Amino acid sequence: MIEIHNLTKYFDDIKAVDEVSVTIREKTVFGLIGTNGAGKSTVLRMLTGVLKPDGGTVAVDNMPVYDNVEAKKKLFFIADEPYFFANANAGTMERYYSGIFEAFNREEFYRYLEKFNLDRNRKISTFSKGMKKQLALLLGICAHTKYILCDETFDGLDPVMRQGIKSIFAKEMEERGLTPVIASHNLRELEDICDHVGLLHKGGVLLSKDLEDMKCNIQKVQCVFCSVEDELKALNGLEVLKKEQRGSLCTITVRSTREEVEARFATVDTIFYEVLPLSLEEIFISETEVVGYDIKKLILG
Amino acid sequence: MTSKNSFWDSCKENHKRRIWVWIVAVLSQLLVYGGMTTIYLSRIKGFYEDGTYRNVTQYKQAMYQAARDALGFSDNLYPIIFLLAALIAMQGFSYLYDRRKVDLYHSVPVSKNRRFAVVYVNGLIIYVTATLMGLALGTVIAISQGAVTPDVMAEMGLAFLWNLAFFLFFYHLMMLAVMLTGNRFVTICVFLVFAFYEICVTMLLDSLKRTFFETYSSYFIGYEEKLSPFYDYTANIWQLKNAENAAQAARMAMPLAAKWFGIALVVLAFAWFAYKKRASEAAGKAIAYRFLEPVMKVAVTIPAAFVIGQLVYDTSYQNELLLVLGMLIGGLIVCAIMEVVYDFDIRSLFKHLFSSAVALIGILAIFCSFKWDLFGYDSYIPAQNKVESIAIYPNGYYDNYWDENGKYIDNAEYQKETMFLTDTEPVLALAEKAEETDPETEITDAVEILYRLKSGRQKARVIRVNYDDPETEALLDRIFRTDAFQKGMFQGMTDETSYDQVTRITYSNGAAKTVVPKEEAKGLRDAWIGDMKQFGFSLVRHNRPCGVIFMEYGSSMGYIQRQYYVYDSFTNTIDYLKKQEAYYPVELPAAEVDSITVTCYHNEFLQDPEAAFRDDPGYALDREARAMPVNTMSEDVYVDYTTQETFYEEEQIAQILQHVDPNYIDAPWTNYGNDTDDRNNYSLEVVFKKDSSYPYERGSYYFTYSFRNGEVPEFVKEATAYTGEEEEDLSPAGVG
Repeated sequence: MIEIHNLTKYFDDIKAVDEVSVTIREKTVFGLIGTNGAGKSTVLRMLTGVLKPDGGTVAVDNMPVYDNVEAKKKLFFIADEPYFFANANAGTMERYYSGIFEAFNREEFYRYLEKFNLDRNRKISTFSKGMKKQLALLLGICAHTKYILCDETFDGLDPVMRQGIKSIFAKEMEERGLTPVIASHNLRELEDICDHVGLLHKGGVLLSKDLEDMKCNIQKVQCVFCSVEDELKALNGLEVLKKEQRGSLCTITVRSTREEVEARFATVDTIFYEVLPLSLEEIFISETEVVGYDIKKLILG
Repeated sequence: MTSKNSFWDSCKENHKRRIWVWIVAVLSQLLVYGGMTTIYLSRIKGFYEDGTYRNVTQYKQAMYQAARDALGFSDNLYPIIFLLAALIAMQGFSYLYDRRKVDLYHSVPVSKNRRFAVVYVNGLIIYVTATLMGLALGTVIAISQGAVTPDVMAEMGLAFLWNLAFFLFFYHLMMLAVMLTGNRFVTICVFLVFAFYEICVTMLLDSLKRTFFETYSSYFIGYEEKLSPFYDYTANIWQLKNAENAAQAARMAMPLAAKWFGIALVVLAFAWFAYKKRASEAAGKAIAYRFLEPVMKVAVTIPAAFVIGQLVYDTSYQNELLLVLGMLIGGLIVCAIMEVVYDFDIRSLFKHLFSSAVALIGILAIFCSFKWDLFGYDSYIPAQNKVESIAIYPNGYYDNYWDENGKYIDNAEYQKETMFLTDTEPVLALAEKAEETDPETEITDAVEILYRLKSGRQKARVIRVNYDDPETEALLDRIFRTDAFQKGMFQGMTDETSYDQVTRITYSNGAAKTVVPKEEAKGLRDAWIGDMKQFGFSLVRHNRPCGVIFMEYGSSMGYIQRQYYVYDSFTNTIDYLKKQEAYYPVELPAAEVDSITVTCYHNEFLQDPEAAFRDDPGYALDREARAMPVNTMSEDVYVDYTTQETFYEEEQIAQILQHVDPNYIDAPWTNYGNDTDDRNNYSLEVVFKKDSSYPYERGSYYFTYSFRNGEVPEFVKEATAYTGEEEEDLSPAGVG
């Protein structure tokens, strides 16, 4: 488990990370979301021991991480622009990492390389941006560390590759308890990968929740009520996060379970009603609007 | 068995990232050592083929020397060491400049200490391996030419250690520069500032003291740098190259190498500390530590401003107002440039005005402290109870000093090492007296003083005193009479040289040169030392030596000649010389002299160029065409006022000889006077008769003498008066 408590970081006079507290559980995919400059990379760089926090603590399996070799053995960091040695090919990088990470699985690495159609002898400098990210991910996966931390690594990966990586993550999580931490500025990139999401804004955490919890506890209902009384009766006692009306069609976002919503709507007269699945984007919009933020501006631009 | 992540595995992996540095280091060392050995040895072979060497032994010696020059101590290596050290250190830690590299290296499970050690040791391995490869190549070439001896090999080893000490210093210094910065350009600037800061500041202080302090002198305490590797390397390399053997070279080189090993270790400790504390986010920044920015700004701006001010001062005919303006404007420009460099942003020109103000105030404060001598530099005279001893050098005497190996010793160095005046009262009184002396109205001479304080510190000053002031003369006389002064001033007083090394003793009265048997060296010297008891300033100020003894030393010491001045009152010495039939009075016998040619320069016309023409009827009419003095270098009109007369009459010669002194013998501390004094206005050439039995030095055709002031006979004055008419050719050739 990675525990981040009141993590703070200044760059000169700028407070880049402001008392962030997050817990990353094992065997979950943790998504760290935020706009550019929200502090995602800084949090990840502190998490991997690249940066020294100015305040607060980072503990990886109860070990401080800064300049701690034992803690770092459990981490593999893929930066937003991963660095590869000059004139290196995939084999060069494998030899470097296998010298550093004792559990590095060379056979697995070359098997994955073939699977992803990456030429082991081709100079990495001739790779496309996406290919470089794939290579970095494969190196990270094959290093067999407990945690893999990816900074914007999935942005720009094509859906096929993303699906491929996702399935490898799933396999590794199941087989050896891999815990990926993925930072991105794009909610849509993380929707189908993450189990838990932390939203960073201006260096602080706006929210940190399990995706399933969020999905289960927020429902979107489209309905046409027969009368105003029916509407009042249906919504009475429900926490309405958002309500839009176009003509007689109401779109209501409420904080509740699907079962409770369906039970409530069954007791009133409606011409039509349907409980719809919410996208991660919609959940975030709803959650952040509650605390006074316009998420569209924050994440979606 | 080593683990996959052992130290040496890390080193091996690190070497893969440093291949181009390997290539540069190895190639440069192979070229330098291999090239130098080939060139030096071929040159000697060429000389041998041209017949420069008399025999094979001499040729072989030259070959050994050439091998020593190429593979041992060499001044050619210094730039290579400097550049290699800087390159290896900067490349090794260059990942710190790049955020992407930092993200990689600092996130993997390798401790900071391990990474530092790996990069550090690898850099050392690169230099040492490249150097050994170069030396090996040079040695193979030298062996193939038969130019290697055990001594050459030993010196090669010593030079390797010597160079390694300096390499380590620069290697560590560049590492420190890298740790303090986050950008290559700034690193190089900081490295150069570190490497040359002491030299610049020392030279600057020297220049300021020279400009503003009347009593500043670098005679006893020069501005030699204490922590300058450049100085220590270059100042000693010549002696090391010329050491007689490896053992002597080791004695000279190793203490200095140890000093630089020690300093290098201190710098390494700083570099390591800075590395440990360096934040990863410093990558790409100008300065890694924010608090250092104003410190560096002030530390660089102040000396830079003074250099700019000094340039303005020198080019503006020493205008102090322009000096101040130059410093302030220069200081502001340097501050602005540094801010731009710190932020890599031209808009930062006037950022952090507080530190700029501190720098400018510092500049003004330093300037004021020099200009108005706020710390009392010129008025410094230590309290008598604080002075341990004093060394003093009153101008007016010059001698050469040698060490026991026959090597030349600098005058100040010799006096500093040997003169310990514990009777400090007359020197301090002299310093006080100097404060009353006005160099504008009095004729003064410089007296160099070194105060050795009881605290262990040493302070040097130069004062100006009037030798002709009776009180000054009395004080100097007290100083001159002390054993400590005489021993520190005249090496003949403390000569440790073995008498059997004396090869020749001669005595000269200015014209005669007689030989004293070399076995008499001890007796003659003892007699002279006995006479030195009456030596004092009054004696030398008012009397010229009547002769001088030259003792020459030879053999392994090289050629040394010591002079022992003899005065009329040195009766012991004179009697000893008489016993050896070597003494001849300074007055020459007129009967032995064939002629005396007196030349008068009429220097009085140089003081008043128009004096010679005042009575000329055309004087008032044609000022433009008026003759100019000789020394005005006029291209149009040139008048030589020199007049010359040769005297052949024995009576006249006898009269002249009563009033002259030989020029051949220096007269320490005597008053040489000015140009219009008779001593300088006239010169005499004394020619002996061809059949003379007088033991004058046969190689010379004539001997030069000067009149004593106020003793020029009237007939000489008349004969050499300037008449304005063209002089007749009176030279012996003309007469003959």
